[in-house]
Amino acid sequence: MPEQKVLLAGTDKHDLTKLAEYQAIGGYGKGLERARAMTSEELIDELQRATLRGRGGAGFPMGRKASLIDRKSSKPKYLVVNADESEPGAFKDRQVMAEVPHRLIEGCLIAAHAIESTSVFIYIRGEYLTEYEILQGAVDEARAAGLFGGVEITVHRGAGAYICGEETALLESLEGKRGQPRPRPPFPPIQGLYYAPTQINNVCTIATVPTILTIGAEEFAKTGVPSSPGTAIFSISGNVVRPGNYELPLGTPMRELIYEHAGGIANGRELKAVIPGGSSVPALTPDQIDVPLDYDSLGAIGTFFGAASLIVVDDRCCMVQLALRSTKFYAHESCGKCTPCRVGTRWMVQILESIENGTATRADLDLLDSVGDNILGKVLCALGEFAVYPVASYLHKWRDEFVAHVEQGGCPFHGSSSLEGILAPSDQHAHAEVLV
Amino acid sequence: MSAELVRVKIDERDVHVPKGTGIVETALAAGIEIPVFCYEPRLGDPVGACRMCLVEVEGMPKLQTGCTLTAQDGMIVKTARTSEKAAAGQNGTLEFILVNHPLDCPVCDKGGECPLQDLTFRYGPGNTRMSYEKLTFEKPIPISPTISLDRERCILCYRCTRFSSDVSEDGQLVAANRGAMSVITTFEDVPYTGAFTGNVTELCPVGALLPTQYRFEGRPWEIVDVPTVCGLCPVGCNINATVRETKVKRILSRNHPEIDEGWICDKGRFAFTHLRAEDRLTQPLQRTRRHGLEEVTWEAAIDEAERLLRAAQGRIVTALSGSETVEQAYALGKLLRAGLGSHQAMLPEEVSGALDGYRLPLSAIRDADAVVVLGDVPVAERAPVVDLWIKSARRKGARILDSADEVGDAERVVLIWSGPGGRGGATVAKLAEKLTLAGREGCGAFYLPTTPNGRGVADAWAACCDDESDEPDSIGLLVVSGDEAAADPNVRALAEQAEATIVLSMFGGLSAGWADLVLPGTSYLERDGTFVNLEGRLQRLRATVTPPCPDELHWIAELAARFDVDVAPYAAAVFAEVSEKVYDGLSFGEVGESAPLRGYPDAAVRVDRPSLPESQAKPGKTEIRLVAYKPLFSGAAVERVTELQFQRPQPEVELSAEDAGWRNIETGDLVTVGSNGNAITLPARVNRRLGKGIARVAIEHANGLGGIVELARAAEEVSA
Repeated sequence: MPEQKVLLAGTDKHDLTKLAEYQAIGGYGKGLERARAMTSEELIDELQRATLRGRGGAGFPMGRKASLIDRKSSKPKYLVVNADESEPGAFKDRQVMAEVPHRLIEGCLIAAHAIESTSVFIYIRGEYLTEYEILQGAVDEARAAGLFGGVEITVHRGAGAYICGEETALLESLEGKRGQPRPRPPFPPIQGLYYAPTQINNVCTIATVPTILTIGAEEFAKTGVPSSPGTAIFSISGNVVRPGNYELPLGTPMRELIYEHAGGIANGRELKAVIPGGSSVPALTPDQIDVPLDYDSLGAIGTFFGAASLIVVDDRCCMVQLALRSTKFYAHESCGKCTPCRVGTRWMVQILESIENGTATRADLDLLDSVGDNILGKVLCALGEFAVYPVASYLHKWRDEFVAHVEQGGCPFHGSSSLEGILAPSDQHAHAEVLV
Repeated sequence: MSAELVRVKIDERDVHVPKGTGIVETALAAGIEIPVFCYEPRLGDPVGACRMCLVEVEGMPKLQTGCTLTAQDGMIVKTARTSEKAAAGQNGTLEFILVNHPLDCPVCDKGGECPLQDLTFRYGPGNTRMSYEKLTFEKPIPISPTISLDRERCILCYRCTRFSSDVSEDGQLVAANRGAMSVITTFEDVPYTGAFTGNVTELCPVGALLPTQYRFEGRPWEIVDVPTVCGLCPVGCNINATVRETKVKRILSRNHPEIDEGWICDKGRFAFTHLRAEDRLTQPLQRTRRHGLEEVTWEAAIDEAERLLRAAQGRIVTALSGSETVEQAYALGKLLRAGLGSHQAMLPEEVSGALDGYRLPLSAIRDADAVVVLGDVPVAERAPVVDLWIKSARRKGARILDSADEVGDAERVVLIWSGPGGRGGATVAKLAEKLTLAGREGCGAFYLPTTPNGRGVADAWAACCDDESDEPDSIGLLVVSGDEAAADPNVRALAEQAEATIVLSMFGGLSAGWADLVLPGTSYLERDGTFVNLEGRLQRLRATVTPPCPDELHWIAELAARFDVDVAPYAAAVFAEVSEKVYDGLSFGEVGESAPLRGYPDAAVRVDRPSLPESQAKPGKTEIRLVAYKPLFSGAAVERVTELQFQRPQPEVELSAEDAGWRNIETGDLVTVGSNGNAITLPARVNRRLGKGIARVAIEHANGLGGIVELARAAEEVSA
C-alpha cells in the first residue's frame, strides 16, 4: 500500500503552518461548518460512527470517550490535548504540530463543540520548543482571524517528565501540581481538570477529526480496517535504511512498512526484533512481522499498537543491554508515587546490571521475572507496566541470550553490541547515575 | 441524611453499608482488616500510593486498591485472606516497601509502635530477596529544630505532604525529585514552620519523621501513655503524655473527634520540656531584708503565708491566671472568700456565660455553611485547632466570612470571635441573637479566650461564696496565682500598690523582683483536676508525673485548716463540692476521658473585676488601630523551650494592602508605628486578608503600643 495522507494531507505542496494556505486547501471550511451546525449529540454520534480509535496508545474510541462526558454538569467542560509525546521511538505528534498545526486546532474546535466546552488546553512536551512556537503562532493566527467561535485554546508547555503523558498526571501538572497520576475512578470524563468533566485526546486523534467531519464518518471508515479505520502516522526508527514517519492506512502489514517504506534493515544485517508501539511494549521476533498494523491484530499476538512507533533491532543488539537501557529510562521517569513502580524499576535495573556484568546467577533471571510480575497489575498507572512489558518479552523470547550472560559470566557481545539509533542512553539524563 | 444501603460480599461475608463507603471501612464493618499505609481518611481523598490494600473485585481484571474503591451494590470483594491473587499482590507490595528500608528497628524510636513493623510481622516475607545495594541518604535531616527526617526509613506514603497541603494548608512539606530518588523535603531546606508541623510525626507510619525531643529517649516497653488534656490554650485538645521513669518525654494527640480530630499544635506537643526548665522552682522563696529572696522550708513558707494573710485583715486581692484547675481556683477561693472574706479577684480577661445558649462541639464548624470569623487576632494564635476546623469547613465548601452581614440564607451558621475584646463572648452572643441562631441545628457561636480555663476558674471562684464586699481602699495583700498573672503588667502595677505580695509561680525569673513570698507552682501536666474549654466542655486533667514540689491543693488545704476552712487536699473531693453547685453533681469519675459536651445551666459566671476597657475606637481616615496580639508561641512555657524559639513571630508589622498601598509601603520596608512619643520601627508585611485600618504586631514586639497609632514609612536610613 502506498502512503495515504490524511493527517498530513497537503504538506507536500503547501506550508500548512500558515493559516491562508491551510484555508486554501479547505481548512476551517466544510468540516468545521458542518460540526458547528450540529448539536453536540449529533456530532458525538458522527464521531462514534467513525470509530476513530485513540492514537495515544490505548486505542479507546474517541467518540465513545466524548459520549462519557457529563455534559449536564454545572461545571465547565474541558478538552485537553495530550501533546506530551515522550515515548522512546515516537515522533508522530511532533510532525503534526510542526507541519499541520491548524488541522490540530480545527480538530480542537470541533471536539470542543462536541462536549460543549469552551476551554481547550494543549499540553505540549517541554522539549518540543520549535513545535511549540509553530503551534502557538498558529493558535494566535487562528484566534486573530476570529475562527475560535467563543472557544479559547491555551498551549501549555510541560517541564520534561515522561509521566505527564499519562492523562491524570498531565491534569495534575496542568493544575500546577506535581505530575503524578490520580487513582481512577473517578475517571476524567466525570472528574478531570479542576474536578470538572474533561476529555483528553492525543494530537493525532484530534487532528483526524476535521477530516471525519469533512468527508463524513462513513467515507472515513472506508480507509483502514473495520475495527480500526483511518490512517496512522507510523514512526519507524532503529536499524532501518530510511527511518522516519510514514502515514499509512491501519492494517498495513508490518513487513511492508519495514522492508518497503523504510527500506529494510540497514547495512545488510539480519532482523532480530521489532518493538512495535514505542519502547514500552513487548517485542516481536522476525517470524511475527507479517502482522497487520492495527490495534486488534497486534493485541492478538500479545503486544500493543501503542504509539504506532516501531523500533527495529538488528542482530548486533544484546537484548540484556537493550532491556537495561529501557528499564533505566522507566526507572528514571517513574514518578515515585506508587510503591511497586518506584521501588521495582530500580530493583530491575540492579538485576539487569548484574546480568550484563556477569555477576548474576540463574536465580536472578527468575527474580527479574518475579519482580516484574509483582509490578504488573499492581501499579497506580501504566508506567510501571511499561517498564516490565519489554523486559519480560526479551527475557522470554531471548532467554538463551540471558542464560548465556549468566553462564559465560559476562556479555557474549563483548561490547560489540550496537544500540546506536535504537534507544538513547538514559545516562544522558542528569541524576541517572545516582539511581543505582 | 440516610444514605442508600448497599450489599457487599467481602470474603464470603455479607455486609450492608451506605453506598459510597470505602472498601477499607466496608471490610472493617464485616470484621475484616485490610492493611494500609498511605490511607488516612483525615487527609482527604485517598491517593492509592502504597498499594498495600490490594483486593480482588469480581468483574475487574486487575487488583484494586481498597482505599480508593467505594462500595457498590452487589460488589464481591476478596481480600488477601481469601484471594491468592490479592495475597500475592500484597506480599509483593510489602516486599517492595522493605527493599530499601534499612530494617534498623532495634535503634529506631518508632520500633515497637510502628505500623510498618506491625504489618511486616503479620503479613511480611520471612526473608529478603534483595541482595543489591539499598538506597542510602544523608540522615537524620532536621527539617526543623523539632522534627528529624530519616529518608532511608521513609516509604513515601505522602501522608506528611498531604497533611501540609490539605490539612494545615501551609504547603511547606513537599516531595522533591522523582522515582526512587523521591524525597520529602521543605522548599530550599527552610525549616518547617507553623502551628501544626508536629502532627506529621504521628501521621508517619514508619520511623522517618520523628520528634527530635524524643530521639533515643525511650522504648515502647518502658513508657506509659497517660491520657490527659492540654492546658496551654482554651481548645483543650485531648492528649497522651508519654512518661518514662517519672518524666514526660513526649506529647501525643488523643483523638477527640469533636474537639481536635487527633491534631494538636506544636506548642501543645513540644512545650512540655518547660517542666524541666532551669529556673523551675521547687522550694518556696521568702524575701529577707538583706539578701532578697531566699529559699525556705515549706513549713516556714506556710507560716509566713498565714502571717501575711492575717496581717492583710481582709484587704486581699487575688490575681488569677485562668490556667488554674477548677479545683485549685475553688480551693483558693474558699480559703480567701469563705475564710477571710476577701472577695476581690481578677482574671486576665473578661469571662461571660452569654454563649451558653449557643454551644456546639468544635467539629460543627466543619459542617457549617457559613463561618463568620470576627476580630483581628489570627485564630491560630489564640486557639490553633479551631483554625484547622475553619480550613476544613472551607474545603467542604463553606463560606468563610469576616462580617455577619454576608451570611444571607446560609442554614448552618457558626460565629467565631477571635479578639481583641469581645467581653468574654457577650459581644458575639448579641450577634448570634440578632441572627436568631439559638436552637437552630448546626448553628452556634464561639469566643476564643486567651486563657485555657478562664471559664472554669470563674465558675469555681463564683461557686465558693455568695458574699460580696466593697473594694478595699488599699491592698493589704496581693495573691498572684500562676505564671500568666505574674507576667501580666497590670498585675505588677497592682503589686506596686500592695503592702505585700504572694506569688504562686513555676519559674523563678517571673517574680524575683517584687514578691515577698514565692510558692512553687505546678504545670497542667502535673495536676489532677478539671478544665472547661472554649466550648464549655468540662474535661479531666491527670497528673501525668509527680511535680517536684507539693501540688497547690495540698498546701492550700493545709493553710486553709489554719483558718478553720475545710478544703480537701484531693481533686476528686474538691470537685465533688464544686460539682454540687455548678456541674449538676457530676462525679469526678464521670467527667470522662473523652468528655461529652454537657450543659450546666446552674453555672453562675461571675468575675468581680472586668478587665481593662476595650479600645474599640474607630480609627480615623489616616489612622491605624494597632492590634498587639499574644502569639501562640509565647508565654512562660514556650520561652523555656529552646527548640521552639524558631517558631516565635518575626519582628514585623502586618498591614492591610489598602493601608500599605497609598503609603507606598511594600513587604520588607521599614515602618514606624507610634503614639505619644513611643515608637517602634519594624519591617512591614502586607497581608491581603487584613481589614483596612488595622495593623497587627506580636505583643512582644509592640513595646507597649496598641490602639490608635500613627504609621508611616520609616525615614530613609543615611547611608554610611
